[in-house]
This record gives sequence, C-alpha cells and structure tokens, in this order.
Amino acid sequence: YQKLQTDFEHSRLNQAVTKVHLNIIYDILLQQDSIDLGAGEFVTPQEDSSATLSESLMDRLNDQMMESVMISDSPNNSEEDDVGPIDSFLDGGLEENGSSGNKKEESEIGQNTTEIKVPVDQKEQECTKDDIKEEIDIEEQIQIVVSPQSEAHSPVVIKSEDPEHQSPKGTSPKDEPVPVCTIFSQGTQPKSLAPDGFQPTLIKSPSFTTGSGGGSDEAVTPSKMTAPLVCQPSPSLSKFFTDNGQANPASDFFDSFTAPSSFISISNPNADVSPASTPAPLSFTPEHQPPTPVSVFGPTVTEPTTKPQSPISQTVPSLNLASSTPQAQPFNQLQAVFSGTDDPFATALSLSEVDRRHDAWLPCEETRKMLISVATQQYGPAYVDTNRLTMPGLKFDNLQGDAVKDLMVRFLGEQAAMKRQVLTASSVEQSFVGLKQLVSSKNWRAAVDLTGRLLTAHGQGYGKAGQPTSHTTDSLQLWFVRLALLTKLNLFQNAELEFEPFGNLDQPDLYYEYYPSVYPGRRGSMVPFSMRLLHAELPQYLAKPQEALDRLHNLKTVCLAILENLEKGSAEDGSMITLTQENRQASLKLWRSRLSRVMYSMANCLLLMKDYILAVETYHSIIQYEPQQRVQLLSGIGRIFLQVGDVKMAEVYFQDVEKSCQMKARDPTHTTCVLMNRAFVYLSQNSYAEAHASFLEVLKIDPRHPVTNNNAAVCLLYLGRLKESLGQLEGLVQQDPALYLHESVLFNLTTMYELESSRSTQKKQALLEAVACREGDSFNTQCLKLV
Amino acid sequence: PSPNIPEQQFLVMRLTKPTLFTNLPVTCEDRDLPGDLFGQLMRDDPSTIKGAETLMLGEMLTLPQNFGNIFLGETFSSYISVHNDSSQVVKDILVKADLQTSSQRLNLSASNSAVAELKPESCIDDVIHHEVKEIGTHILVCAVSYTTQCGEKLYFRKFFKFQVLKPLDVKTKFYNAETDEVFLEAQIQNITTSPMFMEKVSLEPSMMYNVTELNIVTSGDQGESTFGKMSYLQPMDTRQYLYCLKPKPEYAEKAGVIKGVTVIGKLDIVWKTNLGERGRLQTSQLQRMAPGYGDIRMSVEMIPETVNLEEPFDITCKIINCSERTMDLQLEMCNTRTVHWCGISGRQLGKLTPGASLLLPLTVFSSVQGLQSISGLRLTDTFLKRTYEYDDIAQVCVVCPFLNNEC
Repeated sequence: YQKLQTDFEHSRLNQAVTKVHLNIIYDILLQQDSIDLGAGEFVTPQEDSSATLSESLMDRLNDQMMESVMISDSPNNSEEDDVGPIDSFLDGGLEENGSSGNKKEESEIGQNTTEIKVPVDQKEQECTKDDIKEEIDIEEQIQIVVSPQSEAHSPVVIKSEDPEHQSPKGTSPKDEPVPVCTIFSQGTQPKSLAPDGFQPTLIKSPSFTTGSGGGSDEAVTPSKMTAPLVCQPSPSLSKFFTDNGQANPASDFFDSFTAPSSFISISNPNADVSPASTPAPLSFTPEHQPPTPVSVFGPTVTEPTTKPQSPISQTVPSLNLASSTPQAQPFNQLQAVFSGTDDPFATALSLSEVDRRHDAWLPCEETRKMLISVATQQYGPAYVDTNRLTMPGLKFDNLQGDAVKDLMVRFLGEQAAMKRQVLTASSVEQSFVGLKQLVSSKNWRAAVDLTGRLLTAHGQGYGKAGQPTSHTTDSLQLWFVRLALLTKLNLFQNAELEFEPFGNLDQPDLYYEYYPSVYPGRRGSMVPFSMRLLHAELPQYLAKPQEALDRLHNLKTVCLAILENLEKGSAEDGSMITLTQENRQASLKLWRSRLSRVMYSMANCLLLMKDYILAVETYHSIIQYEPQQRVQLLSGIGRIFLQVGDVKMAEVYFQDVEKSCQMKARDPTHTTCVLMNRAFVYLSQNSYAEAHASFLEVLKIDPRHPVTNNNAAVCLLYLGRLKESLGQLEGLVQQDPALYLHESVLFNLTTMYELESSRSTQKKQALLEAVACREGDSFNTQCLKLV
Repeated sequence: PSPNIPEQQFLVMRLTKPTLFTNLPVTCEDRDLPGDLFGQLMRDDPSTIKGAETLMLGEMLTLPQNFGNIFLGETFSSYISVHNDSSQVVKDILVKADLQTSSQRLNLSASNSAVAELKPESCIDDVIHHEVKEIGTHILVCAVSYTTQCGEKLYFRKFFKFQVLKPLDVKTKFYNAETDEVFLEAQIQNITTSPMFMEKVSLEPSMMYNVTELNIVTSGDQGESTFGKMSYLQPMDTRQYLYCLKPKPEYAEKAGVIKGVTVIGKLDIVWKTNLGERGRLQTSQLQRMAPGYGDIRMSVEMIPETVNLEEPFDITCKIINCSERTMDLQLEMCNTRTVHWCGISGRQLGKLTPGASLLLPLTVFSSVQGLQSISGLRLTDTFLKRTYEYDDIAQVCVVCPFLNNEC
C-alpha cells in the first residue's frame, strides 16, 4: 500500500483514506454477517473461540459438506510454502464463508481461526475511526484487501482514454461474438437486372389468371369494380402517393407491377377501410350467415368503401407534384415488360409441376380441414374466423435514411455530404426491378422503404395490421424481401414486429387452396420456404435461440415428412398423384437441399447458443447432404474447437480435412484451406510468427485472398509490428476497395489507427470518404468507430 | 511536468486473442423475388466461406473490441506504443511499463535501454506479457522520459487500471474407504462468462500418496473421458473430478496410527478459451483429517463378492491396535437374522501391542438371499473390560445356486 501511496498525489490520497476507512468498517460488518450465515455449515466465530482448536477442526473435517478450496495463485508463483500473507487475507476477505481458512497452506491451522476472529474483535471493540486507522496501519494487508473495493474513491487518477481500457464491469465478455455483419462487399457488379433475368413465376400474380376468367374473380373481390380503391398512406409515405389528379393512384400503382391489366386488382377490398370507420366485413361468423357468400359480401363492402372515401382523399395531401411525374415513365416501361410475357395459360401449365414441387407444405390439422372445406365449397373463405386469418401491415413507416451520409454531415460538413450519391426508394422504378436494383447496389434501407410502398399499395401498409386483407404470391414475396432485408440490416426487432401478424405461417389464407377462384387448381403454401426459414431463424438474433430451434425443428419435421412421402411414391403432400421419375427426382433433390439448409440454420443457431457439442454434431450431419462441402464443413468444425480452446480436437478435424483434400484432385482452394487451418492452429499455440508464415504461403497461391491478407496483417500486430500491419491493410483498402471495404477489415484498420496515433479521427474520416464513394446505405458505420 | 498538449502519446491496447468473424446468412431460392441476388451478395462477401456460405463461423480474424475480462492465471498481454506527435525529433527515449498489484510492482518492459531518437510520426512498439498471479486491482503504469531538441528533459506517465477476477470455484470432499484409500471429489465450477476447455485437471499428490484418476473409462485401448467427447465447461457449470489416493507402501504400514491432518496434494488446473487463450491455476495444499479409528481398527482384508446361499465362506479381518497401550482381546461372534458365524465364539486372541496388527480368518454363511451385511463381531479388551462392536463391516451378495442352474 505504501508503494501505491508514493505514486499518487497526496491531497487526493488523504481524501481517499477516510473513505477507505469507512469502507473497512462496512466490510467488517459484512464479513461477520456472512460468517454467521454460514453457521449451518461451519462454526461461527464465537463458537470457534470457545471450542478447542482440535474439536472445531474435527467438526469441520467430519462435516460431509463440500468445502471451498482457496485457489491461492498461479502455480508459477506458489512453491510449497511461499504463499504470502496477502493471499490469505485476500481470500479471507473474498470468500463468503470462512471455510477457506482451513484450507490454507500454513503450518498451524490455528492461525486461520484467529484470522477469522480478527474482524469480530474489531467490531466488538466498537472502534472509532482513529482506532481502526491504527489497526490498519499495523495490518497492511487488510488495507490492500479493501482498497480495490473502494474503487470509486480510489486515489488512482486514470484517464481511460482508450476504449480498450474500460473497467471490466462495464465491458462485455471478451469472447462475445463480433457483431454479425450483413454488409456485403461490392465485388463484382451484380447480375444484370434486365427483364430476361426475371423469373416468370414471380410476376405471375392472381390478377393475370383472372384476366381470362373475370366472372369468377368478381365473386371474390366484388368491391374492386364498384368502388375505386384508395389506400391510406402513412404520413411519411404520403409524399410518394401524391394526388396527381387520378382518383386511385395507389391501386393503379399496385396493378402496374403485378398485372398487365391496370384495373383488375384482387387487392383486399378492405384496404381502404380506415380502422375506426367500420367493422371488418369478415368478422361475421358463419353461424349467423346464410351459406351464400356473394349476397353477404356485396353490401358489407360497398358500404365502407363509400364512407371513408371522402376523409381519405382529404388526408392525402397534394404534396410535391414533382416527385410523381418521374414515376409515370417507369410504370409504362414496366407494363411493356409484363405485356411481353407469353400466353399465361401455357406458362401456368408448364409451371404447375414446378409450382407443386416448390409450394408443397404440410399444414397443421386444423388448417388442413379448413382448406378441404373451402375446396369442397362447404363454405366460402369469408366465414373463416378472423383470428385464423393473417392480417399483416407495416409496423413502422419512418424512412430508413443513410447513416453514411449522416456521418459525413457530422464530420465532413454538408458540402461533402452533398456529393454522396446513393439510390433511394424514389430514384428507382417502383417495381420489383427497382427493388432488385436497390438490393444489389446494397441500398437495403432504401429497398426496405420501397417494399413499404409496394405493400402499402397492396393495402397492407402502415396501420393496416389486424385488418382483413387478401394475399397473393407477390405480396408474400414482398414481405419476404422486406423481412429478409431488415434481418440483414440487423433490425431484428422490427422484423419480429412485422412478422408477428403472420403467426406461425400456417393460417389457411396463406395457402393457395384458400383462393380457388384466384388460383384455380393451385395447391400448397403461398409463403415461400425461404420466408419460413427466416421466420424460424429470427428469434435466435433476439436472444430467444430456444424458440428458433423449436421452429427449425418443425421445419425439419415437415421436410422429412415430405421426403418420406416422395420416397413412398406419393406426391409431396402425401396425395396419390403419380409423378414422373424425373419430377420425383427433381423434387427429392429440392427437398433434400431444403432439409440441409434447415440443418445449417440449426447448427448456426446451436453455435450461437454456444452448445458446441450439438453444433458440431449437426454440422457433421450436413456432410451427408452436401458432400461437396465436406472440406469446408470439417474445417469449420475444427475452428469451432479452436474457439472453444480444444486445440487437439481441432487438429484431428484439420487432419481429416487434409486427408479429404489428398483424396480429391488437386484443387487450389483446398490447398488454401489446409494452409489456413494450419495457420489457425499456430495462432492457437501463440506462435504468431508461424501463423503469419502460413498466411503468407496462402498468399503465394492466391495473392488477392482478402481474408488471408487481413489475417496476416492481424498477426503482424501481435508480433509488435504495428506500422507494417497498418501499412498492409491501408494499402489493401486503397488498392482494392471492392474487396476490403468490409466491416471486419475496416474495424481492424480503425482499431490500429487508434493504437497508432492520437490523430486517428482524421484517418477514419478518410475511410469514411472511401466508403461514401462505394457503399450503399446498408453500410454499417459502426466499424469506422467515429462515434 | 506534463505539457498541455502532450507531444508524445502513449497508446495501449490489450491483446486478447483475435476472434473469428461470424456471418449472418440470409438466403433465398431461385424462384423467390430476389432470385440469385442474396446468394450473389453472400458469395461476394469476403468474410463468407466460399462454397459453404451458410456456414456462420468465418475465417476472418478481428482484433479484440474491448478490454474484456481478465482472470487469475491468465496471461495479460498488451501492446504499448509510444508515438511522437510533435513535429520535432526527440532523443533518449526510455519507455518503462510496470504493473502495480496490491502487493508488488513488476517491471514488464522487454528492454530497459533508451532509444536514441524518435522521429515525428514514428513510434516505439512493445508487446508485454504477464501471467496474472493476484486477484484484484492491477495498474499498468507506463512511463516515458525523453529529451527535446532544446535539451529539456521531459517525463510523463499514464495509468491503466484493470481488475483481475477469479475464474474458478473449487470445492473438495474427502471420502475415507475402509482400506487406507482416500477418495477425493473435486467440484470445479466455471465462474467466468465464457466456455472453458479444461485441458488438464490433475491431482499432484503429496509424497505420502499415489494417485489414480477416476475420470476416464477405459474400454479396450482407448480411454474415454467421463465428461464425454468435448471437454469444456459452460459458464456456471460445475464438473466433478474423482481421484483415488493410496498411501505409498512405506507409509501404509503406519497408516493405522497416522492421526490428525495430513497433506493430500493439490489440484493443477489448465484451461483454454478462445483460440487457445490459456490459463493455469493450482489450489492450495488440500488437507485431510485422517479418520479416527478409536482404540482398535478392524478392516476386512478379504471377502468374496458373491456367495451361495447356506454355503460357508471365508473372510479375513485385520485388527490393528491404534491405542497407546497393549490390549488383551477376546472375540465374540453373534449371529444375526441373516448371518451365521461358524466356529467358537468367545475365544482369546492374545495380546496386541500398540500399532501391532493381527489377521483373523473367519467362516460365515448366510441364510437369506440378496445383499447381506456382515455384522455381529464383538471385541472385548479384557484389561479394561471394554467392548468394541463391529457391525456392517462388509457386504456380500448371496445367491441361490439352484436357480442359476435352471437358467
């Protein structure tokens, strides 16, 4: 303690001393308390003093309770008998029950007994502060025990300027996973977005089937002809839906991206119903209604559509006419694209096999019964209880913005920020084409905005959750893209919120059978498999991995059941349809790949849960479905073992990798993989120089390998070669920004900037400028560590 | 002496092991709206595993994000960089890094010689390592002294404080066997926040004992750990290790008279965490009170495991005089409901000097099937007229031989 004293300013010390003393009193009381609490197991100090030494010891040793063992110190420090008194005092102060006293390595056990008594005596004497001070001066060790606890008043003046040096209490554990990255490098330009890259099924909306069968369509959506649809835009979206003179801009707009005919829409008839104005027509329960749906449906719909009409057209303000004019053109273009498709019947027929294969799903019993009754026309869909319906809507309507630009405004000024050019939801075609453009240019925030607009047009906009609506292939695809992007952007809570109305994705209105007139003859799930998977994975990012696992197990069960059906000779859903051998094989292949995808998700989830045993087992079981990924999977398992700390097991798996690589034809990526694994083993053995050498060997084969370049630079830092490491990373980012403007590389670079110089902020700002030129609005600016 | 704008900058970063970057795979199928777009984005991402993009755990190393926790027994590593922020060359730079603990001050600098000169924008780098041996507050004190061009001698220092926490909680329990063996059960709990791979948990016995680890089940040539394939401990998980200690022959003879506290040995624990971050601890010497046997100790040296019903079998008992006086002993054998002794009860065993022992062959049979307890032996010291009762000294499994034949 005295050594410490000399280091610190005296005035501060004096202040601190009194506080330390107060703490000591408090400590003593505490300690006594804890000893009393332990009376069930151990003798209290009072008893201890009255009992003879040997008796009390006998009591303790015969006691069948577990005893705490003092971990004195690290082995290198402790020879048989050199444990300093500080350690014993430290432990005496830290151990809650005095039992550890018995375990200390000291020649006489009696010493420990007196040691426990010390605080009691002190307390009994009811010392004044000064008395205690004296005692403490004698017993230095106690002061030392106490001083760390009086942390807040400690005289140490430490400027923790470096973020690395926060107090451990406030910091998260060191093994906390790096925030998961969703930022993708802009390596090669994404595939051309020409219309020919467009899947015909994607644009196959119900309205194109109805184009030829208008009569049946009318029965389902009687409202669409009688009253024009007006969507109530959410406040911030209202800019987009400007009143440009047309009566129903929103529905027009919606049709434009789904169907060639602009006035036929199967949009939900209630889309225009403002929540307060009328009760939803579908809330009628079947028992109150005659079994003729049309007669019921008509009046209920026409009534609300007339009512809310006027208020809504008033609420839609005539804002910003300029923004609507450029939209007109893309719409026309889009129509041209869509009208170019072939005869819809031919397309539909050729797709039916593929449709059945992809859309197959096994609904729960209740849903299945309901779908059968809809199919056999026992009653129309209108009689389904509302709580069995899916009524989604946007849960937030604020625009997503661009964090890169915000940072530029803050650090580089408005002028510089003006230069940033990124696509926004308004600057692209208001269609799937525009959406794809935003996704591929990594403007996912703008893409989320665009999905919001498109869904609003479909009547599932902001505030529409809980209101009856109808679903189409397109609307569900839009939801999938929106939710997938929110997940990619780490906006998990938002995704969960908007997923919530979908329930477990098993409501009857999410199946094609529910819409026999819109999708005649079509069966299976409207919800894409990828959306089910996303739904299942999502809870793991929200600290509910168990729920994610449950959902994934459900998916797995269905996949296995479908595979079993196929192997038995029936169709996917178990129905007795004869499939051609070719189709059966295609279907088996598809469902096996889906099963393996689910297994991957399960393994990833288990890894996130740190259940390494099951994670390793699951990854291992994927090899049978994806034999071509054997090398990657085995290497991945090896890395898991390294993460746990089990270097030996990791080496076993890495050897397995080397064997697999030898068996196959020489593949440069496999050589890379083997060298990489070796480097990781060296790293785990603290041999940074050897690890660095292995990474350099990889670079001989593939000089542009981004991961290896980054890893080699990291090794250099651990070797004490900061400038070299920094120079390398900086060079890489400058030469090949497409590959190296990656979140983790930039994080490493900014960390080294912080370590290198006090002028790191300028250097980070230079990085921000580089990012601004290349990256979209989905860039995670946190890795720049500017704020 | 510190100027308002420090010309030299101390920058310190703790070097925990780097971590592997994890991806967040979001995929779709070709028929979905984005088509191959999501797949393409994942393939273009440099941090994904090529060919297996959905594998979450990548290969990209990322530097530690924060100081993290440091535990007793781990190695504290730190990067220390002194950077010349001024526009002038400085001379004779001496960098010192000390670690102040509650009990001592350690010098951690790799070199103690001064650097002749430091140009603007250059730095002096050092990576220090220290195995943490104390719990509680540690202060890294970095000091630098240098001479400016005007010949002014300057000195400044910086403090970095951190807390060292306890990583493990160890509890022990001794079981004394009827023989001289001692079983040690050690419960080791991981009280950190991350999983720990237990690389080694061994008992280093004191000179009196030989130790056998009972944590491996041997089947064939290969031993399998009782903890399964993966030997790691999740946060707050506890694991029990069992050890059997046998006194070495030279001490075994005296074991009967060993009393009081004996030193058993200490546990040596080595663990590893993320990418081989290593820690090692030893417990203090574990002590055990030898069980008190009273004046006379009786142990069963030999007894069959399984015997036939109503068929006499032999057992051998050992009698040790643990008292300080010579005893004259008389043996009585009392039948119980199940166990029947053969031979004469009440016979004299003769004199037994202190510390001496006597082997006693006896014959007995059981009239009831099942696991039977051997009871009913009485020793009487004829000098003091004191009787010692020995019940439940061993168990034996009694079976019916005829039933076996039928099967």
